[in-house]
Amino acid sequence: MEQIPILKVGRCLLVSIQIDMHDKLAMALQDDLTQKLVETRARGVLIDISALDLVDSFIGRMLSNIAAMARVLDTQTVVVGMRPQVAITLVELGLTLPGIRTALDVDRGLALINKLIDEPEGDSGARGAH
Amino acid sequence: MHVERTSTLEVRTSEDVVRVRQEVRNRSGAVGFSLVDQTKFVTAASEIARNTIDHGGGGLARIETITVPGKRGLRLVFEDQGPGIADIALAMQDGYSTAGGLGMGMPGAKRLSNEFYVESVPGKGTKVTLVRWKAT
Amino acid sequence: MENLLNHIVRSGAEIVIIDITGVRTVDTLVAQHLIKTVSAARLMGADCIISGIRPQIAQTIVHLGLQLDVTSKATMADAFALALKRTGQVMSRAQIKPT
Repeated sequence: MEQIPILKVGRCLLVSIQIDMHDKLAMALQDDLTQKLVETRARGVLIDISALDLVDSFIGRMLSNIAAMARVLDTQTVVVGMRPQVAITLVELGLTLPGIRTALDVDRGLALINKLIDEPEGDSGARGAH
Repeated sequence: MHVERTSTLEVRTSEDVVRVRQEVRNRSGAVGFSLVDQTKFVTAASEIARNTIDHGGGGLARIETITVPGKRGLRLVFEDQGPGIADIALAMQDGYSTAGGLGMGMPGAKRLSNEFYVESVPGKGTKVTLVRWKAT
Repeated sequence: MENLLNHIVRSGAEIVIIDITGVRTVDTLVAQHLIKTVSAARLMGADCIISGIRPQIAQTIVHLGLQLDVTSKATMADAFALALKRTGQVMSRAQIKPT
């Protein structure tokens, strides 16, 4: 089975999802990320979904699970690059991705994560819809 | 109603769900759905395909290009011979926050479609039909 | 909605000011559309500020029992000032030296 690469960039883990994942692959990514988070003691997870033309409830749950698990490990999660048609569909589906911060692109996502790591009380980044 | 084109796909594995998405995506493009409508319908298909596997034990997906006078659309029919849904009304409630509930994909898929029908007989199986028309 | 969201991508705007000064009445449909637009923009990573909410509209929204969970300002100027503050920018008067 293919594997989605996870890169360490500074204090963050960066995952860029480039393919239409089947459910098993999504679960594997979740497990991989958890493991790498503990191994590397990264302080942030950046998930780039700019290549995804679809996010359904399974992927949505995967993202929420990753964020929840990261929170337990005192790690920030930021999802970047959501496409307009994906955002519109998620809102229609009623998936709000609570507890997930979002940013427009990788640059801004990294800036947001670094800010959140350095200023845990500071809170001006965009949040997932509630 | 006239059925222009039909394709049938097995829905048994998680890879099959990806194949269903791709086929619905291609057919949505061929019918001329806008990008947003394509995304909505492919997402709906993904939800129901997954239900067919997780709750129906696997089944078939039929993707049909349909026309009625004045408009063209896509109809998806997901059928399984699984345990069926005892309480369809309950399954259609927004229960996303409940883990493992059957209701997870269906109310969402309904909102993403123009027409949505569920037929289910406990012990016999389930048939879910979704229709989306090209916006004029 | 699509236009606004596509524009966010094209311009890289982190903050969107939605001015509804010209909106006379807000019914459930309009309000829901507004809420959905704000939610979608947030998912993409842009925050929204609504400007131009008139008292009657604020009343209608409360009356309809809707949760408009987004910062609102009475005027575009106020919204713009808030947007500048949120993005850590400041507008200051330039000194124009007499020639």
